[in-house]
Amino acid sequence: MDMEAARTARESLDLAFHMSNILDTGLDRHTLSVLIALCDMNVNPEALAAVVKELRSEKLSSSSLLPTSAPSSFS
Amino acid sequence: MEDEEDQQKAADLVKELVLRLLSQNPTSDSHPPNPNSSDFHNSLRYAIRILSSRLTPSIAPDSAAVAESIKRRFATQGRSSEALTFADLYTKFASKNGPGSVNNKWAVIYLLKIISQDRKNLNTQLDTSVLLPNLGFAENESGKNSRILSGHGSQEKGWNNGVLLVSKDPDNRRDIAFKEFVNLIKEENEVSEEVLVRDVLYACQGVDGKYVKFDNKADAYLLSDLIKVPRATRTMVRKLCDLGCLFKKVTGYISQSMDRFPAEDVGTIGQAFCAALQDELSEYYKLLAVLEAQSMNPIPLVSETATSGNYLSLRRLAVWFAEPIVKMRLKADLVDKCRVLRGGAMAGAIHLHAQHGDPLVHEFMRQLLRRVCSPLFDMVRRWVLEGELEDIFAEFFIVSQPVKAEALWREGYRLQTGMLPSFISPSLAQRILRTGKSINFLRVCCEDRGWADAATEAAPATGTMTRRGGFGYGETDALESLVDVASKRIDKHLLDVMYKQYKFKEHCLAIKRYLLLGQGDFVQYLMDIVGPELSEPANTISSFKLAGLLESAIRSSNAQYDDPDILDRLRVKMMPHETGDRGWDVFSLEYDARVPLDTVLTESVMERYLRIFNFLWKLRRVEHALIGAWKTMKPNCITSHSFNKLQHAVKMQLLSTLRRCQVLWDEMNHFVSNLQYYIMFEVLEVSWSIFSNEMEVAKDLDDLLAAHEKYLHSIIEKSLLGERSQMLYKSLFVLFDLILRFRSHADRLYEGVHELQARTMVSSLSSRDQNKSRKQLSDRSLEAGSWITDGRKALTQRAGEFLRKTGQDLDAIAKEYSSLLEGFISQLPVQQHVDLKFLLFRLDFSEFYRRLLPSI
Repeated sequence: MDMEAARTARESLDLAFHMSNILDTGLDRHTLSVLIALCDMNVNPEALAAVVKELRSEKLSSSSLLPTSAPSSFS
Repeated sequence: MEDEEDQQKAADLVKELVLRLLSQNPTSDSHPPNPNSSDFHNSLRYAIRILSSRLTPSIAPDSAAVAESIKRRFATQGRSSEALTFADLYTKFASKNGPGSVNNKWAVIYLLKIISQDRKNLNTQLDTSVLLPNLGFAENESGKNSRILSGHGSQEKGWNNGVLLVSKDPDNRRDIAFKEFVNLIKEENEVSEEVLVRDVLYACQGVDGKYVKFDNKADAYLLSDLIKVPRATRTMVRKLCDLGCLFKKVTGYISQSMDRFPAEDVGTIGQAFCAALQDELSEYYKLLAVLEAQSMNPIPLVSETATSGNYLSLRRLAVWFAEPIVKMRLKADLVDKCRVLRGGAMAGAIHLHAQHGDPLVHEFMRQLLRRVCSPLFDMVRRWVLEGELEDIFAEFFIVSQPVKAEALWREGYRLQTGMLPSFISPSLAQRILRTGKSINFLRVCCEDRGWADAATEAAPATGTMTRRGGFGYGETDALESLVDVASKRIDKHLLDVMYKQYKFKEHCLAIKRYLLLGQGDFVQYLMDIVGPELSEPANTISSFKLAGLLESAIRSSNAQYDDPDILDRLRVKMMPHETGDRGWDVFSLEYDARVPLDTVLTESVMERYLRIFNFLWKLRRVEHALIGAWKTMKPNCITSHSFNKLQHAVKMQLLSTLRRCQVLWDEMNHFVSNLQYYIMFEVLEVSWSIFSNEMEVAKDLDDLLAAHEKYLHSIIEKSLLGERSQMLYKSLFVLFDLILRFRSHADRLYEGVHELQARTMVSSLSSRDQNKSRKQLSDRSLEAGSWITDGRKALTQRAGEFLRKTGQDLDAIAKEYSSLLEGFISQLPVQQHVDLKFLLFRLDFSEFYRRLLPSI
């Protein structure tokens, strides 16, 4: 049972990660799983998105340009 | 308990998230941030604040809809394969149910969507700064950058990345080119759209903005040339600012009119127009105020993104202004058209604009017209019901002229076609004019107060008039019915006054009886007693004496029973005379019409009556002369046997002369009496009967005037006094003169004959009783003494000579007469009048003249 649940969870995460890549969100797998968990706890997705955006822009340091090319590598 | 656990878990997760996000850097930046560092704490606090500030999503949770919108976006971007992949993934993701699966699928999808959007926006902004690093960043971003990225050469990094990118991925060239273009635009666009919007809003209020200024040369608001904006924006600004120009025009007109108002004549309608425009403008002001308030607010967006621009863009403004621009253009058109117009003409011009198929325009014009026309309709109402011409600015389509009372009806008021608005038909305008005119006529000429009752009756009858300014533009039917009712009542009242109080009909009859010689005994008597007087030269006749004679003629004829008021008005008039004129030429009767009858019987009308009178008087005189001749000719039976003792030849000569005289008289009498008959019965009585019938059915004074005019005209035309029968009239007068000459010849003939008779009696007596009568005779005819002393032979000789001479004269007259009559009769059929054919028929009943004159 646990195995089953774990598998479903992993598959769901995979699918979400795929979608995330297609949508070019620039999120990695771990962050995405944290976000999904927060979503499951009924946190407002808009707020979450705002957090992601704000924190990213804070650490804009250098290189967030790269993800523009990400979709091509994934699709 | 569980809540606490959840909270704890959530807090952990958030901490983890922040950690991940801060450390989520590509390989080059892999050192994990210190969880205890102040940066981390700041970020964490920030994150928690964001999370706690927004607890519920702003849209309804519907994962399918969100997925659909994502797909559509891919599709519109032309990335259909990705759209398909996404759709596939989504269905799989959504089908995962049961334990371990994601519960809040919608939230996840939505989250992904927003993040992806945010990133895209960020990218475009960032890219510019990276590609052209020395052109300056948006301040706050660059500030943050410099704050956070201490220790990293951001420029170097950016460049490296950019170069790396280009070399690595040629596809990106297009992106870069595009970004460069965006950049160029940004650089060009020195003025942001918000500023432009504000300027346009200013311009629309007729105020110069910072960049958009009024250009007198172009007569338009233009964006200053120094400002670099795309051509499209420029034209759009210009288009929007059209509204400002139109507005300026309209307000200019209003203020100009208002300034002029006390000094010059703008007129009430002009004022109403200005007021209506101002009202319309206040609507417009309201709109502008709302727009201006809106322009301050940003668009309420789903998420707070950097790009949420101001609520009003130029395009939005264009949409907002679509309707006001149409209206304002209309107003400006009207202002242009009405600049030189006033009063009714202005209302008419506006009315022409209202004939529009567009319901918006139509409704707008209707409202405007209602206000503009209200003073006009008020004027109509006052004019129709009270006869007041309250028109200080000469705007009404009826104008008054100061005239004497008798001309009030004909010339006192007239329509001014220029001021007649086209929604009032000319016939209605005529009726309006007549109604007010009737009231004024009653008031001024008839000194009557009864019209007020008639008018007040009319007001409630139409039902609309109880309130002031009861009708307006568009209710022409109501206006028409009001005018109808009022005019009917007032005209009826006016005719009543004319007939009953002023006895119009009686006066017309009196004119017919005295001036047109309808009263036979009076005319006969007058002719008898003024005849001797009138034979004198004109300059020796005293009109006072004639007036006395007229008086006695009235008193001795049936006319004495007539109304003294009527008899009082009958006067003698001596026309201006020349040397050699006889009394007959200058004598005439006159009838004093007085106010208000002189509206109908004006001076010119009386002049025509006078002409008719002169003609009839002449005719009467000729008739009278012929009758006088008859009187002297009557005892010819006596003469026939008293001449027995004369020589046969002389006797025959005498008899033939007498006979010729008789025949000629008879011929003349035939002509004159038939002409007389024709005039009296075919002309006067028939015309009178038609006239009195028309008087019965006349509805207003104009009808009455027309009927009277027709009456007079028909008399003049039929009695040969008209323009067309002047030749006929002249030959008739020659005939009359000839007849009068005949009369004097006949008189002389009979005088001679009587003389002769007396002489022969004397001579025959003298043979028997000479001594006895000689003494007698010598007493009787001393002046003819030459005959007495001569003998019988001389007497016969003299008589023969006299008769021969008279006979020659008579022959000459007869010849002249027949030729004249021939001319007259031959002219008759040429005349246009049917009635003159009757005259011909009457004169030539036995076709005697026709046989003489084959030409007829």
